[in-house]
Amino acid sequence: MALIILLLFPLLGAVAAAVGKARPVAAWVAVGTNCAALALGIAVAVREVQSGPMTGAWGVLRADALSAFMVVVIGTIASLASWLGVRMVAAELADGRSTRARETTYLVLVQAFVGNMLLAVLAANVGVLWVAIEATTIATTFLVGHRRTKGSLEASWKYIVICSVGIALAFLGTVLVYLATLHAGGHSAGALDWTSLMAHASHFNPAVMRVAFALLVLGYGTKVGLAPMHSWLPDAHSQAPAPVSALMSGVLLTVAFYAILRFKAVTDLAVGPAYSRALLVAVSLLSLALAASLLLSQRDYKRMLAYHSIEHMGLIALGAAAGIPLAIAAVLLHILGHGLAKSVLFLTSGEIMATEGTSRIDGIHGLLARRPALGGVFGVGLLALLGLPPFSLFTSELLMIRAEFQVGLGWAASAAMVAMVVIFVAVAGHARHMLFGSGTPPTETVSAGADLARVPVVTVARSSPLVTAPLVVGLVACGVIGVFAWPLTELLRAAAHVVAP
Amino acid sequence: MNGSPFSSSLTLGVGAVLVCGVAVLWLSAVRSVIRAISVQGIALGCVAVLLGVHLHDPALIATAAVVIVVKGVAIPMLLRHVTGGQPLARETRPLVNVPASLVVSAALIFLAFARTRGIAHFVGTTAGTLVPVGFATLLVGFFVLVARRRPIFQMIGLLLVDNGIALVAFLVTAGVPFLIELGVSLDVLLGVVVLGVLAVRLRTDFGDLDLDALQELHD
Amino acid sequence: MHEGSWSRHDGRAPKRDGVTAAWPAATVAATSVLQVVLVVVGGPLLVGLMRKVRCRLEGRVGPPIRQPLLDLRKLARRERTRPDQASWVFSLAPLVLVGTTLVIAAVAPLLTTDPAFGWYADLFAVVYLLLLGSVALALGALDTGTAFGGMGASRAMTIGAIAEPALLLAILALSVPAHSSDLPAIVSGSLAHPIWLATPQRLLALVAFVIVIVAESGRLPVDNPSTHLELTMIHEAMILEFAGSDLALVKLGESMRLAVMVALLADLFVPWGIATAPGPAHLAVGLVAIVAKVAVLGVVLAAFEVAVAKLRLFRVPELMAGAFVLAVLAVVSSLVTP
Repeated sequence: MALIILLLFPLLGAVAAAVGKARPVAAWVAVGTNCAALALGIAVAVREVQSGPMTGAWGVLRADALSAFMVVVIGTIASLASWLGVRMVAAELADGRSTRARETTYLVLVQAFVGNMLLAVLAANVGVLWVAIEATTIATTFLVGHRRTKGSLEASWKYIVICSVGIALAFLGTVLVYLATLHAGGHSAGALDWTSLMAHASHFNPAVMRVAFALLVLGYGTKVGLAPMHSWLPDAHSQAPAPVSALMSGVLLTVAFYAILRFKAVTDLAVGPAYSRALLVAVSLLSLALAASLLLSQRDYKRMLAYHSIEHMGLIALGAAAGIPLAIAAVLLHILGHGLAKSVLFLTSGEIMATEGTSRIDGIHGLLARRPALGGVFGVGLLALLGLPPFSLFTSELLMIRAEFQVGLGWAASAAMVAMVVIFVAVAGHARHMLFGSGTPPTETVSAGADLARVPVVTVARSSPLVTAPLVVGLVACGVIGVFAWPLTELLRAAAHVVAP
Repeated sequence: MNGSPFSSSLTLGVGAVLVCGVAVLWLSAVRSVIRAISVQGIALGCVAVLLGVHLHDPALIATAAVVIVVKGVAIPMLLRHVTGGQPLARETRPLVNVPASLVVSAALIFLAFARTRGIAHFVGTTAGTLVPVGFATLLVGFFVLVARRRPIFQMIGLLLVDNGIALVAFLVTAGVPFLIELGVSLDVLLGVVVLGVLAVRLRTDFGDLDLDALQELHD
Repeated sequence: MHEGSWSRHDGRAPKRDGVTAAWPAATVAATSVLQVVLVVVGGPLLVGLMRKVRCRLEGRVGPPIRQPLLDLRKLARRERTRPDQASWVFSLAPLVLVGTTLVIAAVAPLLTTDPAFGWYADLFAVVYLLLLGSVALALGALDTGTAFGGMGASRAMTIGAIAEPALLLAILALSVPAHSSDLPAIVSGSLAHPIWLATPQRLLALVAFVIVIVAESGRLPVDNPSTHLELTMIHEAMILEFAGSDLALVKLGESMRLAVMVALLADLFVPWGIATAPGPAHLAVGLVAIVAKVAVLGVVLAAFEVAVAKLRLFRVPELMAGAFVLAVLAVVSSLVTP
């Protein structure tokens, strides 16, 4: 029952947006539903840790520890993104850059997007998971092309073509898994449920499962943004409006990786852990190398953040390759931390683009001097993302590296660390250019409120707390989790045991 | 050839699916290509009907009806709507010319048959021996995606990939459960709608449809 | 493979389905001579028939069916001319063309399933002989040293480069169920197992075969046999410089190739009526059957020519490549189906 209500929240938000026609009230209702979904998700997680997995909707939905954790992640970032989305919608309407109909579509599609992601992580059945992830692709295509520029049109075309091909391959992999389970004696009614798959996995034909897992990594990996299927990612994440980029980069990539994690658990029971380990290590090192080499020459800060996502997805894949519970717990913690930090950064970059009018790195100087709040948030967010303490990404990366050495993948971890150093240098260099410097003449009073009110491009006057509060909240949460993981340890442990029993 | 009516008609249907896929490479007029896709969808549905009758599975026959309606009728109608403003359009400057594409497709068909014998043996049924045809259609669809410049052809390449995978699904496991097939068909339909809207926007914003002209975003 | 094998090394006639005893040598020799005479006389008659049908369908009366024979007689009495630069290749080309076609006419299973040296009527040999004829004509055209000769030869070889493999693969697809590449074995196998004729790979092979026949004999939509426009002529450009008895031989060779290919089409895909046992009655039936089948096919081809327009020259390789892929599909499906 709780699970159905969880899915109804985004639906409610979509209905409110459609009825309210993009008025601020409707947008706030959508924010409210996302926060409610987060709250309910936390309650479900607590219930799950205490009494085990819960099912709903006649067995179509199922929440075990891993699903509950992902629900919490989705809820958090959806709340953050829709909070700032309210302001973005109002600003675009006030500027005349958009019509009410387009903004209504935007809000409805964002809610549909969130709802489909929740459905994907709560699905008990592999087929429903596929349908939900394909539906997120369809929902986000129009969101990527929201601004109706040539660049965004090109980005959304590339996005849907490449991701559709990937999802089709993932479907082929799913069909092969179905073949394996039918031959191992599963009944066709419940054969594609996760519980049934995990129960029968040791009887699956290894050759078929190897081909199936390769197809699934190739297919769902396209949506995760792993190299060599990543070419849609920089375009789509940089052209989309900021809240959408935050949602896509923060959560959608990891929801697709959740699918790979679940299938890895099944495959490891069928063929042993070495195969999936080799495949995931290869893909992750390729992604890290690619991200490292391309980040050095970036000229657009939104594309820089997108390539940084590719790096983090590579790290997550490397962690998953190790396969032991410590590694999986680290991966999940990294998913949460990366989600928080990346979404805060994308939302901030959206603000920066709205105020500065350019998305090029060399078009922005002295952000810390002119707009200390925005600049500060951006800088601290980058520190969080680069893996510095006290933020949770430091903890999760440390745990991942420890786990890699434990299973004998030390060489891979070392290669990853080299890539991370290169990326640190690249991103720090770009950030230094953007943040430091003299900026505008010093006659203006340097105070948060005055700076943000005196905005050349966006005409809606807004007060600073509305903008910076959610961003600061996100960063603080990231920091808190890094230092005290206590609210999450039980959940993480249970979730890790789902994947690596 | 054991000659039973079931296996010969199944071979006919499955062969029709592959021939329609090759026809997409052979014909360059958009209208004929959409007709080929429509025939392929109907052939796919007929294969599902044959399997359903042979295995006494009413759910599979219902799935076949859905496939025929969606892939044989609805999607071609949408595609025709997208190209409605240019009824005589044809692909005049493909990335790989027609004779070369056809020779490459022959090579891809051989490749598919050579590499997927293992799965055919594993499945073991009469339908299972025809599985390489589905993989061949999949590879031909990939090639269409890569070798043609107009957006409509990329959409058709995607549909070929989908049809190939659906054929493999039908032959290997007598289809996935009905509800999932329904969801899959709905998703494919919505995907085509979205692609169609984008293609129309591409035409109005970029003018002459040549995907190589989309070069705005790069590093 | 099993009963037959892909190549013959022992020189003895193999046992085949539907043939219980070896035929007497005299009968075999007589049938081969009969086949050759049939093709030599029937080729021009077939061309005449197709021309007559086209004219009738276009609303004209048209020349009589035996007109090509009369044309051959007229040409044979004319003076032979040759270009100054031409060498022995030019003189030899028409002879090779006619000679190879005569060999095919003698050994192919047109009237009977046991022609002379029938076991040498391997499909590879037949296709090779056809190719030899085309290449000889093209070399003769090149040898003239004129622009039209070279142009016609290059166009013809472009088409032939894809058409010959397509022909080979189409007949290969037919040979897989018969486990032998001998044409007589394929024909008698099809007679013994009629179910083979209803399979999808037969249909694919048939379509590919028909396209190749149209291309190799230079008929619409690939080439217009009555055009002399530089932009469009392929075959006519090659034979522009031949005159007198050379031209008579070339035209005879063309019509014989058309007749042989149509007869092979008829016997490979619709084999009923062919003589399977020695005896005058069977031979007579076989004769009537092959003449009737070829005539019907000729009429159908002519009607098709009236309905279709000539393809632009650069689109012809597309058509040939399509035939090639259909033949590939036929082979693959015959190898794969259970």
